[in-house]
Amino acid sequence: MKRFALLLGLTLAVGSSAAFAATLNVSSWHVFAGTQTLTKPAACTVTGAAADLYVDESNAGSNFSTATFFGARAGTGVRAYSFIRFDLSTCNIPATGGADSATLKLFVSTAPGTSRTLTITPVTGTWASTLNWTQWLGLTLGSPTTTFTTGTTSNVSKSATVTVDVDGWIKNGATNFGWRIADLNTGSATTLISSTESTTNKPQLVINYEK
Amino acid sequence: MKLLAKILGFALATAATFAACGAAASLALGTNSLSAGSAGVTSCGASSLSATRNVNNTGNVTQVDVGGIPAACSGETLSVTLVGAAGASLGSASTTLSGCTTVCSASFSSFGATIAGTNLTGYSFALVGS
Repeated sequence: MKRFALLLGLTLAVGSSAAFAATLNVSSWHVFAGTQTLTKPAACTVTGAAADLYVDESNAGSNFSTATFFGARAGTGVRAYSFIRFDLSTCNIPATGGADSATLKLFVSTAPGTSRTLTITPVTGTWASTLNWTQWLGLTLGSPTTTFTTGTTSNVSKSATVTVDVDGWIKNGATNFGWRIADLNTGSATTLISSTESTTNKPQLVINYEK
Repeated sequence: MKLLAKILGFALATAATFAACGAAASLALGTNSLSAGSAGVTSCGASSLSATRNVNNTGNVTQVDVGGIPAACSGETLSVTLVGAAGASLGSASTTLSGCTTVCSASFSSFGATIAGTNLTGYSFALVGS
């Protein structure tokens, strides 16, 4: 009987240790794994702006929202800046989506005699299509997004990458106040760009996005 | 001799019984890997996670925000992998969740590589804690 008890004890010990030596007890751990798949629909192109206009320092109280062009002019006392805003809702991009790339396409109808660099800057406050020079001075701007050169050839399309702004506006449409386009260089020059009121070559915003 | 055979037989049966009990409450490590599907087995309550990402003007991912994490997951480790074509990993990041009130959220801004948003096809999440 003594020998039997000894063997039984030894067997219990060996059996227990053999079972747990090759295992991992996970009872005290939480584990979750999941995935999220993104879809990349075809690019959305918005043709024509919700609002585009220019303001003129030399006509500070006047509004120029119905012209078939807007543009940028440099020169002491005669500066002109443009403002443009697109309605992104037509693309039906959910706020959880984002822009992979966004390109602003503008048609330079009248190029300056020497190539100029125009600066595109997001506006961070609301403005109406009745905006004039005096009123624009009360607007706030973000950091410049990008620039593009006009060249000296008229009737050409120019593209500027504006991905970071459009990505942000997709996520928070309330911050979409569009851009200011300006020639911030010294000297005098005028660049004219076809506006939404033009019958052809309207401004476009091309968005490649995910959702 | 007959007694010895009986004792050995009993011992083997007992050992087998304990081995079976041990395996039932444990996870074998024989394959040296652990896999899981999209169904969660966490007691912190996460059933699905979702992410959004921001890009810079070049289109490269600058930040990934993960939401939908229950506050009970505070203290657990969240890992996110940015997935590209054919399920390839483009980069990854992890953090320990903290500061949770009603929900947890996490933001990542470094993924070990520059990742173009256009190459991103999805995310893979792992949430591990004790």
